[in-house]
Amino acid sequence: MSVREDTAAAPRGPWAWLPPRLRPREQRASEPRGRLWRVETLVLLAVFALLATATINDLVRQAHINHRLIADLATWRGYTHHDYKNVGVDQQTYGVATHVDVVCGNTEGGAPNSKTQICLVVNGPTRGGRRTVAGGWYLPPFTTDDVKSVRYGCFGSVTMGRCPR
Amino acid sequence: MSAAAASAQLPAEKRRVRWAPALAALCGLLALVATVEVVLDGAVEHSQLIPKQPAIAGWMSGIGERLGFRVFLIALLVAVGAYAGLLWLTSKFGEGALSKRFAIALVVALHAIVFAGPVLLSTDVFSYIAYARMGVEHGLNPYLHGPAAISHDPVFRYVGHDWRQTPTAYGPLYTLLSYPFAPLGVEGALWAMKVEALVASLGTLWLVWRCAIARGFEPVAALVAVAVNPLYVIYGLGGFHNDLVMMLAMMAAVALMLTPQPSSRREAGAAAIVVAGALIKATVAVLLPFMLLARRRLAPLLGAAAAIVAGALVAYAAFGSHGVNIVAALNRDAAFVSTDSFANEIAHLFGKPGVFPVDHDLLKAALVLIVLHLLWRTWRGYDWVAASGWSLLAISVTSTWLLAWYILWPLPLAVVSRDRRLLAATLAVQGLYVVHQLSPLLVPVK
Repeated sequence: MSVREDTAAAPRGPWAWLPPRLRPREQRASEPRGRLWRVETLVLLAVFALLATATINDLVRQAHINHRLIADLATWRGYTHHDYKNVGVDQQTYGVATHVDVVCGNTEGGAPNSKTQICLVVNGPTRGGRRTVAGGWYLPPFTTDDVKSVRYGCFGSVTMGRCPR
Repeated sequence: MSAAAASAQLPAEKRRVRWAPALAALCGLLALVATVEVVLDGAVEHSQLIPKQPAIAGWMSGIGERLGFRVFLIALLVAVGAYAGLLWLTSKFGEGALSKRFAIALVVALHAIVFAGPVLLSTDVFSYIAYARMGVEHGLNPYLHGPAAISHDPVFRYVGHDWRQTPTAYGPLYTLLSYPFAPLGVEGALWAMKVEALVASLGTLWLVWRCAIARGFEPVAALVAVAVNPLYVIYGLGGFHNDLVMMLAMMAAVALMLTPQPSSRREAGAAAIVVAGALIKATVAVLLPFMLLARRRLAPLLGAAAAIVAGALVAYAAFGSHGVNIVAALNRDAAFVSTDSFANEIAHLFGKPGVFPVDHDLLKAALVLIVLHLLWRTWRGYDWVAASGWSLLAISVTSTWLLAWYILWPLPLAVVSRDRRLLAATLAVQGLYVVHQLSPLLVPVK
């Protein structure tokens, strides 16, 4: 493949005072595959290996989370006997690493959040597509933030200290 | 001599070329079908992938079904497969596989499909409109207030929740360019933004073509590598992002520098255009030091300085000191973390829940080291276009806020750079990004 030179001649005069190893060079028409090229390529391959490993690890992690979400939703629907579509799962309340999720949905039909909500604290492994309900609480209609001050009717040992007294 | 005997005498390479156009046509068709599927399903109604928007593509809405993750990801994978096939064919057989006419027709068709359809995968375009309407219709400075300041405006309901309190992080030139669209109403402004993205994209592709010729590369292969790229078509063009306008400025500067007869005026103009690009979206400013180091002449330095002074004066006159201080906005946005960022993925790999402030500092340090190495390499004769592309790729990989259209930045440079590793690395990073999207396909959540 022919490559046309696209640069003007590099000025040599102003940089002549620099040692030869530090002087600028004209833009090359092709990249020599010397030692530096090989080192750079090795570094690039190592970085790619790290990024690829992290990506695959995150994909598998996300797939496991999705499995858990499916089980959480099935658990909420089975427990409440409501086959509602708008059910929210929160993994932050107890911390992502704990695998303890909080699943909230309306106690009766209506727009999302428009009715009293029941929140279930779900933990443990998935068995038969469901997980264990370890407790829960209620939220008033139109609650947007599930925080301690608005919760009531806490039940189950895992909710100790999660409701205002 | 019989036809069979003649065929047997053809060199193996030529015989392979005989099936290459058919395979290229099939790949082109698959890319079109995948794009049509996404656009038609996206036109039905908003979903997790399609933002709420005015009914600009309502006439298409009766054909498809609501776009879900499964269909979208299958279409994306088909488009990626078709793209990979076209890349291989054009790099191996050049115009023997894909004629200029066919390549241009394919690119025009992809652009037409996306242009006619709804806004895909991002609410950003509504933020652009909101900032324009804040300035023109409400007399508010978009560098001081977020769209929440105009919550009564009709565009507000379409602005993404995460951005409602956020003042603009875009350059003052882009904000001023978007001002004439504000009086057109939300729908009119949206169409204007779509036209702007379309023109910017076609302009960028034309410049890619010219730069490829200037460097002695196969222009069809360069065009296909950018214009049929699924992330470019579906995410970049489909979201009508202003990154396309930034990329137009970037490639205009590169094209000026690669002209066969370089002149001081052209070099000064190229440097000034890079500054103008940075006043659209600041990232492109990274080209400037490499351009200056490669030339080591006064003209581009003067061009850049003049453009910076003019830009700062205009920005100050229009928006006050906040319009000039783009660095503050960039620092603010650099603190965000997206689930797709490699930094976040690496944190998960090492058992951390996410990115911490110290990680931001480490990533910035890594980026500085990479750029310093590239500056040194450019000083010693390395291709400045490739060095600029590597820097843009490094910015996106080290960013904790990574979006699909960010990894498009280095692509036009990669296809005209003299270091083919850059194209391989850019496509590899894009491939990893696509792989990371696939979890809803593996375990769908309903």
